[in-house]
Amino acid sequence: MSSQEKTTEQKLADFEARVSRGEKIEPGDWMPDDFRKTLIRMIGQHAHSEIVGQLPEGKWIPYAPGFRRKLTLVAKVQDEAGHGQLLYRAAETLGKPREEMLEELLAGKAKYANVFNYPTPTWADVGVIGWLVDTAAVINQTMLAQTSYGPYARAMKRICYEESFHIKQGYDSIVALTKGTPAQRAMAQDAINRWWYPTLMMSGPPDSLSTHTAQSMKWKIKTKTNEQVRQEFVDLIVPQIRALGFDVPDKDCHLDKKAGHWHYTQPDWEELKRVVNGDGPMNKERLAVRRKAHEDGRWVREALAAKGKALATA
Amino acid sequence: MTDTQWETYEVFHQTKKGDPHMYVGSVHAPDPEMALQMARDQFARRLKCVSIWVVNSKDITATDYQNEDFFAQVTDKSYRDPKAFGAPDKDLSDEH
Amino acid sequence: MSIELPFSHPRESVLKFILSLADDELMLGHRDAEWTGHSPILEEDIAFSNIAQDELGHSLVWYTLYEQLTGKPPDAMAFERKWNDFVCSRFVTYPNGDFAYSVVRQYLFDEAEQVKLSSFRESSLQQLSEIAGKLLREEAYHLLHSKGLVERLGDATEESHRRMQAALDEAFPQALGMFERVDDEEGLVKAAVFPGNNVLKTEWLKRVVPVLTNSALRIPVSSKNGSFTYTVQPDEGGRKRNHTQHLRRLVDDLQQVYRLVPGAKW
Repeated sequence: MSSQEKTTEQKLADFEARVSRGEKIEPGDWMPDDFRKTLIRMIGQHAHSEIVGQLPEGKWIPYAPGFRRKLTLVAKVQDEAGHGQLLYRAAETLGKPREEMLEELLAGKAKYANVFNYPTPTWADVGVIGWLVDTAAVINQTMLAQTSYGPYARAMKRICYEESFHIKQGYDSIVALTKGTPAQRAMAQDAINRWWYPTLMMSGPPDSLSTHTAQSMKWKIKTKTNEQVRQEFVDLIVPQIRALGFDVPDKDCHLDKKAGHWHYTQPDWEELKRVVNGDGPMNKERLAVRRKAHEDGRWVREALAAKGKALATA
Repeated sequence: MTDTQWETYEVFHQTKKGDPHMYVGSVHAPDPEMALQMARDQFARRLKCVSIWVVNSKDITATDYQNEDFFAQVTDKSYRDPKAFGAPDKDLSDEH
Repeated sequence: MSIELPFSHPRESVLKFILSLADDELMLGHRDAEWTGHSPILEEDIAFSNIAQDELGHSLVWYTLYEQLTGKPPDAMAFERKWNDFVCSRFVTYPNGDFAYSVVRQYLFDEAEQVKLSSFRESSLQQLSEIAGKLLREEAYHLLHSKGLVERLGDATEESHRRMQAALDEAFPQALGMFERVDDEEGLVKAAVFPGNNVLKTEWLKRVVPVLTNSALRIPVSSKNGSFTYTVQPDEGGRKRNHTQHLRRLVDDLQQVYRLVPGAKW
């Protein structure tokens, strides 16, 4: 029986069977509407996060101390643009134009990783973001590299490869501060104190509070729960923080030897809700910067498009 | 909504001469020459590359996943498989 | 690894000349890098970041040559000197302005690099010749990109034309300042280190005038029998350390963290 003759129920059953066998869904494959919508939302948010994420660290490019740090930071922020580009493209394969996604972001209608709504007041914030935030991102992205949607999985693999450099660059920058003066060490500890909870929140709310997890797990859009990813992050990062002689800003953080995990205090999920919905310290500013770049650059996009048409018909 | 993000071009790159061109992704670009440059900056930043092809996405003609029959093989075609036949006999005794 | 200059070369003049090359790249690279996260479209953000890294990388190559001759490390030269010690042209210190200005500046600079580095291939100073050979390869791509943008934006739409013309009107006199006479230029020319700024400027005009004209842009230049005259005053002073407040602010930014903890490693 060819696929045209199947009922929606049969198509759904086939789809779910394929997914549970570990097969990939490609653009053009039949997929349930919810699958398409969920992926557009997730991939879109991921893409928005990359380009908004350029700003907290990009702010420090003019001030980076020394050639190596300056060059490395330009390369890192460039990678983030590149990742955004890959992810928007993956979302476009599901039928949503990039222009539409950007307009939603700039109108405040789309979400992006909340962690980028926090300010970066010192140079140490740059290193801590590379070290903590990118470690959390890589754990999440390594999991997503197994996602059932082909273009998203492929984008994730490429991104994971580049992201591993970012972690090393950030960590290296903090190690330099650790080996430096008391003022430099204090700058690093202060940055860790401010980024600890925002980074923990990156993996998303506990699954009891998350509306999307169950279906996403069934369709292998994601293969681990938010709590699993968060625990993985904590277990990896706490020993690293302590090895450098820094404190984790959580008095209850301790190794539960029986469970084999580091116990930690849950972040304040009410704060997440507030910040995600626009009430964070940097939300307005981040979007204003992106809006300005988009508007200021409109004449360039239009001019090059017009020229492209002229060249094609010449 | 006017789309000012330009058309998309599919990008293929060749790691070294002798290798086939492989598909690596796509870029938005205003024309083919700029697409080559965008592709170089996006896909050849770290990876070694000696050649890039760009093709406007609308110039790609593709099969439809829904039409699996396009690839159907139902009759026995093992005669195309070298293993289906015996190998030539060899005389392993001394030459001459 | 330290090296020595040929005995016949005027040492102080050569050192200062190398610094002017390094300082130019540093300032432009710094400005280019300010576009990261703010460009008109994602793909151009990636492209501009690439050019920024190259320019900063080139400055590092020149500062490294300086270090081989003097023992002074690149970070010290870039991040510890006072703003009015730099010998870059004024052109590369100005803020980015709109995208049109940055594109025009990058193009005019890239053409200047072409003629300058090509002339270094004939330099009596072996290191200049070798380094120029390497840098020209990356510069080829910059020129392809910036020239491509100028040719397209020059006459694409009424708005792009207007902005590009305004940008060129502002940038052209500043660009002429790239060819300001350097200290002891006669000594450097006599030692065949490079052919002199007037020669370079003429070669540069031969290249940019037709490209700009064909892109529907007006320049205050007329040519007769292979020589050029222009009706604007070059914006000079940089080579003599005579800078504007723009450089002071740029260097404040550039050195802000580095200077936070004097002597510290980052």
